[in-house]
Amino acid sequence: MNRREVTQGELEHLIDAQELPPLAADRLKQIESAVIADLRPVRPMASDAVYVGAFAGIFIAVCIVSCYLIAGRDGWEALSNLQRPVVFVSLIAIGSLLALSLVRQMRPAAKYTRTTAVFAAGVFILLLAAVALIFQPKQETAFAHDSLVCFRAGMMFAIPTAILFGIVLWRGAALSPALTGATAGGLAGLAGLTVLEIHCPNMNVYHIVVSHLSVVVVCALAGFIFSSVTFSRRWSNH
Amino acid sequence: MVRYQQADAAATTVLIEQLSPQLYRFFAAQLGSPEDAQDMLQDAWLRIHRVRHTYRAGEPLLPWVYAIARCVRVDNYRKRRRIVTRELVMETLPEPAIQTEEVTDLPPFSQLVADLPASQREVLTMLKVNGLSLEEVARATSSSVGSVKQKAHRAYQRLRAVLQPSGAGKGTEA
Repeated sequence: MNRREVTQGELEHLIDAQELPPLAADRLKQIESAVIADLRPVRPMASDAVYVGAFAGIFIAVCIVSCYLIAGRDGWEALSNLQRPVVFVSLIAIGSLLALSLVRQMRPAAKYTRTTAVFAAGVFILLLAAVALIFQPKQETAFAHDSLVCFRAGMMFAIPTAILFGIVLWRGAALSPALTGATAGGLAGLAGLTVLEIHCPNMNVYHIVVSHLSVVVVCALAGFIFSSVTFSRRWSNH
Repeated sequence: MVRYQQADAAATTVLIEQLSPQLYRFFAAQLGSPEDAQDMLQDAWLRIHRVRHTYRAGEPLLPWVYAIARCVRVDNYRKRRRIVTRELVMETLPEPAIQTEEVTDLPPFSQLVADLPASQREVLTMLKVNGLSLEEVARATSSSVGSVKQKAHRAYQRLRAVLQPSGAGKGTEA
């Protein structure tokens, strides 16, 4: 039999007229009894503002603690009048976007969860480009050693931040654990980067890219992997 | 939903009875197998039960429910794919399926949408089978209304291509 041209109306009618086999009553009863057997009151999640406040509070607290642990603000003072606003405004913008995305990922069906995370990644790439433009390359005798020291220091602040974020996230992040892990890792890495920008006086562009900005990337990757395992298991039925 | 969060058994029963047929249609329209759809419905309710605290009073309920349902469907699909891959390695390759059904003028819906990419099939099912609005589908799928419209439009285009007159589409002669 030859098929004829199908109009949009016919196609919609075909879909509307679709009949599916009925749901078995015994299966419905089985679901009801399984749910009711485990029924107990739960406290709904707090508002987005509370979670944004929690993430911002942790972030700021880590930066303040770093000022007590590491004497001086050599990095802040070494930055020029152009570099300082570019770096810190970018850090604030990325941090705000990541925190907003993280909060939205905590509950199903929130708006613009992925868009915000992608936007934050875009701003990070812009920061990378800005760093390449406004910082100059310099000769260093102990480049590898200095980079490792800074990277380690950044991670030292990023890891506790990530743990604190994990505690806040524990009740949410039920649907996209990998994305949530990457976002939380990125935000924790950003805390480490901020600490380095406040304290590290090394203005060599290669040093900043290799040992400062890499903290964010490494933390985001680690968060992605860790969360894929832990949070996936936490919410899975199996 | 709020009373479900407060552990009201009667409200929970009503909620399950009201939402289950819709959710079942969501799974059945995409899977084709009623048994698999019922298994997935059960999985969806277990997941809803575990994350019920993530619902906030005053927020639209259907996008929240469907966001969880689609997550269950994706997890289940991945799990099945892993099992199938293992079985294919363990056993001999299956023989090609024999076409037993007659090709009619307009094939059934499940057969039609089976050829669509998963994202387009999902959007079409939510819009046409479950009757969700564009905004609700956008929230459930964590995308924008524009993206949902585009997927639906592409799905219709592909379906029309499948149903093209003889010679233009695939398998046009019986």
